[in-house]
Amino acid sequence: MSLDATSRARFNLERAAVLLLDATPLGMSILVQIVTGLGAKTLYRCATVEQAREVALNYEIDLAIVDGMAPTGEGYDFVRWLRTEAREPNCYTPVLITTAHTPASDVVRARDCGGHIIIKKPIAPKVMLERILWVAREGRPFLFSGSYVGPDRRFRNDGPPDGVGRRREDLIAAQTAGQQAAAQQTAEAQACAPLPQPEVRQAS
Amino acid sequence: MSHVRFVFPKIRLTEILKTPGGLAVADALERAEAGLATLKPRCLKELANLLADAEAVFADLGPAFNDGGLADLYAVAVRGIGAGAVCGCPGVDEALTSLCDLIDHLRTSGRYDAEAVGVHLRAWRLLMAPGLSQDDARPVLDGLRKVSAHYA
Repeated sequence: MSLDATSRARFNLERAAVLLLDATPLGMSILVQIVTGLGAKTLYRCATVEQAREVALNYEIDLAIVDGMAPTGEGYDFVRWLRTEAREPNCYTPVLITTAHTPASDVVRARDCGGHIIIKKPIAPKVMLERILWVAREGRPFLFSGSYVGPDRRFRNDGPPDGVGRRREDLIAAQTAGQQAAAQQTAEAQACAPLPQPEVRQAS
Repeated sequence: MSHVRFVFPKIRLTEILKTPGGLAVADALERAEAGLATLKPRCLKELANLLADAEAVFADLGPAFNDGGLADLYAVAVRGIGAGAVCGCPGVDEALTSLCDLIDHLRTSGRYDAEAVGVHLRAWRLLMAPGLSQDDARPVLDGLRKVSAHYA
């Protein structure tokens, strides 16, 4: 994901409609300076979840940068609402979540709200640009799975852990293979076992 | 058994980024950094105000565990994270993150350590001192990390 800060490669954010949600005026100013510096011209600045919902219901959003809004974590609730309640295409909008700090009690909420990626504050412009380009390039699928609605968060598909699938047949096959390997190891160990050492006793 | 559905939506941002014109990466980053530099005086003032608020909350905490008071202190500290890097004292962001970690640990375990909280606030003031180098700040930040990790 690393970006060469001296690159002359071009990108264009001018036509992107960007929703910004941050409850703190300073946090919002920092976001605005970064995003306008990167070339975005249409910004919807929202200080509350209600404002953000209003924007998402009435305008097409190309990118959302949403603060988690610690300590309440309302920002995560907004992202979940966006994924589950907003109409297309906004329900699929790339969402970057920013966070100053995530309390332990909010980690699962942050993980499962449906954002594409979480950026820890302080935010450097280079990091923000890297993440924007990343969420735009990936074209990852969206998952609707039980309580989770959002982008597929796997960075790469390495297959099942240890090469073992989750189906019952896979587990049985793995267990059988494990038992066969163990039996073979035992047989080999017995075949190669050293001769018993003679008992040595101290002469009295 | 849960049902999983995959959708492959077309992301408009992908096409927008490719449209002709726009900015070179180097120029865009320079513009963004220049924009952030204009916020430096405001960030310094905001951090100083937050520090005063945090010290006032800390003074009212008392010697025993006070969940509401710690929540108030957390709410003040968390607002400052991100401002330090903009105003040229990135150590403040680290110190505030450590303070938020500490408060989170204390609230989770129902404990209180006034010294541990107090040292973070004193460090916050120190790290805002003009002319403090990164090398000077490093041992302070390492110490704060040890304090907050002690309660993890």
